[in-house]
Amino acid sequence: MISDRIKSNLRQEFKTSLLPKVGLVILIAIVFMALFAPVLATHNPNTTGHFDDGNAYPPIGVSYDSYEVVDGEREPYTVEFSSDHYLGTNNVGQDVFSRLLYGARTSLLVGVLGTGLAVLMGVPFGLVSGYYGGRVDDAMMRVADVMLAFPSLVLALALIGVFGSMSIPVPDPIVTAGFAEGMPAATTLPGTVTLVVGLVTWVWFARVARGEAMAIRNEEYVKAARSLGASNATILLKHVLPNSLTPVIVLATIQVAAIILLESSLSYLGFSGTTLSWGYEIQQGQDYLRTAWWVSTVPGIGIVLSVISINLLGDWLRDSLDPNIEGEGGGA
Amino acid sequence: MKGADNLYSGRRSVLKATGIIGATAGLGAIAGCLDDPTDDENGDTDELVITQGEFIENPDPNDHITGPYFNVLDPVYEPLFNVTPEFEFESRIVEEWEDTDEGAELTLRDDVVFHNGDEMTAEDVAYTFNRMIDPDLGIESDQAAGLGAIESAEALDETTVLLEHDVAPSLAEFEYANYGRVVNEEWIEEQEQPVAGDDEEAFNGTGPYQVVEYEPDVQLVLEPFEDYWGEEATFERVVFNEDGESSGRVNALQTGESDIVDNVIPEDVPDVDDEDGIEIRNETSLRNVFLVMNTGVEPFDSMEFRQALNYAVDNEGIVNDILGGYGEPMTQPIPDGVFGHNPDLEPYEQDLEQAEELIEESGYAGEEITLYAPEGRYLNDADVAQTAADQIDQLENVDCELDIVPFPDISDANSAPYDDDEMPFYLIGWGVITGDSDYGLAPFFTEEAPQETYRNEEISEMIFESQTIEDEDEREELLQEINEQLRDDAAWVYLHSQDSVYGVREDLEWEPRTDEDIHLWEIDS
Amino acid sequence: MAFGKFLLKRSLQGVLVVWGVVTVLFGLRAVTPGDPVNLIVDPAVDHETRERIRQELGLDQPIYVQYFEYLQDLLVGDLGYSYQSSRPVTTMVIERVPATLELALAATVVALVIAIPLGVISGTRRNEPADYGATSFSLVGISTPNFWLGIMLILLLAVQLDVFPTGRRPVAFHDALWMFLTTFYVGDLLTWFHHIILPAVTLGTYFTALITRLTRSGMLDEYGKPYVTATQAKGIPETLVRYKHVLRNTMIPIITVLGLQLGTLIGGAVVTETVFSWPGLGLRLIAAIHNLDWPLIQGIIIFVGISYVIINIAVDAIYAKLNPRVLDE
Repeated sequence: MISDRIKSNLRQEFKTSLLPKVGLVILIAIVFMALFAPVLATHNPNTTGHFDDGNAYPPIGVSYDSYEVVDGEREPYTVEFSSDHYLGTNNVGQDVFSRLLYGARTSLLVGVLGTGLAVLMGVPFGLVSGYYGGRVDDAMMRVADVMLAFPSLVLALALIGVFGSMSIPVPDPIVTAGFAEGMPAATTLPGTVTLVVGLVTWVWFARVARGEAMAIRNEEYVKAARSLGASNATILLKHVLPNSLTPVIVLATIQVAAIILLESSLSYLGFSGTTLSWGYEIQQGQDYLRTAWWVSTVPGIGIVLSVISINLLGDWLRDSLDPNIEGEGGGA
Repeated sequence: MKGADNLYSGRRSVLKATGIIGATAGLGAIAGCLDDPTDDENGDTDELVITQGEFIENPDPNDHITGPYFNVLDPVYEPLFNVTPEFEFESRIVEEWEDTDEGAELTLRDDVVFHNGDEMTAEDVAYTFNRMIDPDLGIESDQAAGLGAIESAEALDETTVLLEHDVAPSLAEFEYANYGRVVNEEWIEEQEQPVAGDDEEAFNGTGPYQVVEYEPDVQLVLEPFEDYWGEEATFERVVFNEDGESSGRVNALQTGESDIVDNVIPEDVPDVDDEDGIEIRNETSLRNVFLVMNTGVEPFDSMEFRQALNYAVDNEGIVNDILGGYGEPMTQPIPDGVFGHNPDLEPYEQDLEQAEELIEESGYAGEEITLYAPEGRYLNDADVAQTAADQIDQLENVDCELDIVPFPDISDANSAPYDDDEMPFYLIGWGVITGDSDYGLAPFFTEEAPQETYRNEEISEMIFESQTIEDEDEREELLQEINEQLRDDAAWVYLHSQDSVYGVREDLEWEPRTDEDIHLWEIDS
Repeated sequence: MAFGKFLLKRSLQGVLVVWGVVTVLFGLRAVTPGDPVNLIVDPAVDHETRERIRQELGLDQPIYVQYFEYLQDLLVGDLGYSYQSSRPVTTMVIERVPATLELALAATVVALVIAIPLGVISGTRRNEPADYGATSFSLVGISTPNFWLGIMLILLLAVQLDVFPTGRRPVAFHDALWMFLTTFYVGDLLTWFHHIILPAVTLGTYFTALITRLTRSGMLDEYGKPYVTATQAKGIPETLVRYKHVLRNTMIPIITVLGLQLGTLIGGAVVTETVFSWPGLGLRLIAAIHNLDWPLIQGIIIFVGISYVIINIAVDAIYAKLNPRVLDE
C-alpha cells in the first residue's frame, strides 16, 4: 500500500536531488527509442550490404584505411563516412544506428518481462514460506539456498542448454498499421533468455517477500483478522501481499537493470536468440576492433546508459522508501 | 565427420577452451639470469611455434578426424604414406602397395621403432586398422567413417598387411592412405580407451618427434626422436599451442611468440601485411560452405524453390564483402582441384526477379523459413549466414529468419534423415579432404546415407556405380555428370569454398596446402 | 550456541545444499533434448555401435539408476568422462582452477586497493568534488557490463596504444613464482603480471565500485555514532580515529556483502575469461555448453556450487567470530 507519507518522501527526494531527474530523462529517451524504433530507424536493421566496396562505413566524421578487392586482388583504400549512416555500418553492412534502436527493444523487453516473471514466481513463494513459517518455511528456504548456490549467470547458461532456442516473433503494431515501410514486420523476443533470467532471479523476490510476511504475520491486525475467521488465503492476499509491495517494487526496479546486464552477457557469450541485441552486436564487433571500433563501442554505450538510468531511479526509490533489501548485483 | 566438423575456429574462442604458452615460458630458463634462454624473438631457427585456433582434445591418434589434430599429432604419430600437395601417395612407413583380388597388400619398412623402444611390426599396423573399424576391438573412432570401404586388416607376415575391401582400388587407397596412424598394440592395450592421459607419457608413436611436455588444451612440446628411421628432424624444439581468437593469434605472431598461426580472418590481414618480418600466405582449400535443405520437407521439396534460393543469394558478393576475397564461389557440390570436379559449370548469378518468378512457380509463395547457422566454426560463418538470410528475405514472396545455434545442433541436424523437419535449412561446411569427389557426394546424396539431404534415386545409383569403376577417365566423366546434375537440381544453396589464410614468419620456407594440413617435414627455416 | 555447534549446523546445511545442486543438475541433464550418443560419435556410425555405446555409458539404464550411480561416483570424486575429449572431468576441472583463482584474487586485490581509499575519501569529504567523483565512478562502475569494459580496454590499451596484450596467459603464476624462487629469473613473473592486468581490472571494476559505495556509506554511518564523537573529544588525533575505529567497524558489512556477491564474481569471471581467452574454468564451461558436453558442464557447475557453499560457510564463520551475537539468533 503506498501511503501518503511514502508519496511525500518520494516527492521530497526527487525535488532535492538532481540524479533521479537525470535518470528519468535518460530512461524516457531510451523507452521512446525502443517503442518507436520502426519510425526512428533510418534503415531496416537486418538489411545487409551497406558497404563501401566491401568495407563498413565509419560513423559520421570518421574515416579509416582499409583495402578493397579488385579482380581478386587487395588494393589499399580509404573509407569515408556516409551521411546515410549516422553511426556507420557493421561487418555485414547493417546500419549501426538502426540496430542500436532495435537493440533497446530487446533489452527492455527482456528486462521487464524477465523481472515480471521473477516477481510472479518469487513473491507467492516467499509469502507462503514466511507466513506459514516452521517446516514449510524450512523446506522452501532450502530450495532457495540451492538456487542461491548457483551464480546466476552460470545457472542461466545451464538452463539455456536445457531449453534450446525459442525465438518468439511479436508482430510490430507500428509496421502492421503501415507507419513504417520496409521495417521488420515482427520483433523477435528471445523466449529462452527471458524465461531463464526470470528463473534465476525469482529467489531474490522470494527472500524479500518472506521477510515481509514474517514481520506482518504477528501484527495485531492480522491476528485479529485470523480470529475473525478469515482464511489464510484471504489474509495473504488482503493484508500480507499489499504490505510487501514497497520493497518488491524497489527490488524489481534494480532487477530490471541487473537483468539487462545479464541478457547482454548471455548474448555476448553467444546465447542470444536474436541478432538484434546489444550484447550480440558487441561480440560481433570484437573481431573488428582493429578497424571498425564503433561496432562494439556504440551498443555498449546503450547498455551503460540504460542501466545507469534505471539504477538512478532505483536509488531514488530506495532512499525514499528505505526498505532493507539485498539482491545479487549485475556486474556480470 | 572430418568434413563438417571443421577446421575453422574463428572469433569464438568459446568453442574451445583456449590458452597459450608462449615460446618464452617455462622449462629452459634454468640459469638464473634475466635473459630468457629460450627466447625466440631474434629468429632463432632451432625452435618453431605453431599457434592454431583448435587443438587436440585428447592424445589418441586414432580418435580424431579434423585437420588441426592431425597437424599436432602427425610429427609424433607419422602417417603411413606421404601425401603430396597434389594428392599423390608416396611411400613412407609403407614401402610398396598393390591391389590383389583379396584386397590391398601393404609392404612395410622393417626399421621403424616406437618412441618407447619397441619395434613396429605388421601386427601393430593391422591392429591399428582393426582398432578403428572393428567396434569390438578398440575405440569408437570417428575415423571409422573415413574407412568405410575397409572391412578388416590382417598381418600376413612380419612386414606385410592385407586390407580387405570390395571397392575400386583407388577409392580404397584414398581411405587407408589418409587415415593410418600406427599405434603400438601392446602399449595401447594398457592405456585408457581412447588414450586420454594428460602428460608426455600419453604418447607413443613412430614419428620424427617425440613429446616432452603436454598440457591438455594448452600446449604440446616436441623434440627430435633420436632413433627415427628417416631424415633427421629440422627443429630442435617444436611447440603447438592454441588461441581461439584470430586477433590473439595475430598478436602472438606480431610479438614473435609464434612463427605460424592459422585462420587469420580477413579483418586482421592488413595488420599482418603492415608488419615487417611476418606475412600472409593463403591457399584455396577443399572446404565448401553451403546451405543444406532437407528436400523431404516442404517447401524444399520443390526444385524451383531451391533454385530460387540459389538465385537470391549473391555468393560472389559474399566472398568479396564478408571474406575479403579469400574464397571462391561454388559452382557445384565439389570444389575445384578435386577429382571429378566439373570445370564447365558456372555459379548461380544473383537474379532477384528470376528468383521471385521461380518461387511463384513452385507454389510456395509467402513461405516463412528459418536459416540455422553455427558461429565460429567456419570463416566468418555467422556473418555469411546473416547476409544470405537477408538476401533471401529481400525477395517479395519469401520471409527468411536467421537463428544462430550451437554447432552440435547443426551436427545433429546434419545426421537427421532428409525428411526431418526440425531444422531443415542450415549452414554447414564440408572438406573434401581426400581429393576425390566420392567423399563429398556419397555421404549426402546416396539413399540412406548418414548425411542424406537430397533424395534422387537416379543420382544415388550413379554414385554407387562410380564407386566400382576402375577406369579413371570413365570414373571422372561420371562424377562430372553427377556434379552437373546436382548443380542444376539445386540440391544445396551453393555458397563458396574458403581459403586457408595463415600468418607466417617471412623467412620460413613453407607453402600452405589445399588440404589444410601443416607437415613439419615440409617446413624449412 | 557454541561456535563449534554453529559450524556443524552450517556444514550440515551445506551438504544438503550441495546434494540439491547435484540433483537439480542431474534433472536438467535428464530433461535436455538431444541424444548424447550423437555428441560422442560421428553421425556416420551405424545403429548397433550407437546402442553399444549407450550401454557402455549406462545411458540405457533407468534414470534413477543413473542418478544413484552418479551420486556414488561423486562421493569418491569421480565426475565421469567428457563426451568431447574422453578425459576425466575431475582432472579437466582441477587443472583449470589455478587460472580462475589467479584472476579472482587479482580482481579482489584491485578492488580493495582502489575502493577502500576511495570510499574513505568519499565518506569523509561528503559533498566535496572528490566525493562527487567517487560516487559517479561507482555509479558507472556498477552499471557497466564487464565484457564491454574489457573490450574497450583492449581497444584502447592493447590495439591502439599497444601497452598490454589482448589476452592469453602465457605462464601460470605458480610456475612463474617457482621459477623465480629457484633461479631468481623474474621474466616469467613479469610476463604473468603484464597479462593479468587488463583481465583483473575488468573483473575488479564492479567490485571496486560496490566496495567504494559500501565504504562510503559505512563511514558516514559510523561517523554519526557516539563513540566517534567521544574519542574525538578525548583528543585522539582525527586520522587515527578514522582508520582504526571507523574503518574496522565498516569492514563487517563489507565482508558480508562480498560473501553474498561471490556469485557475481564467478559469473563475471566466466565472461572475463571469454573476453581475454584466459584459460580458466569459465572458458571451459562456455566451450562445454557450446559442445553440449553434459558431464563436463555438470562437473564444473557442481564444483562451483561446492566452492560457493564452502566459502559462504567460511564467511559466516568469520562473521560469527567478529560479531558473536549472531550465535544467539
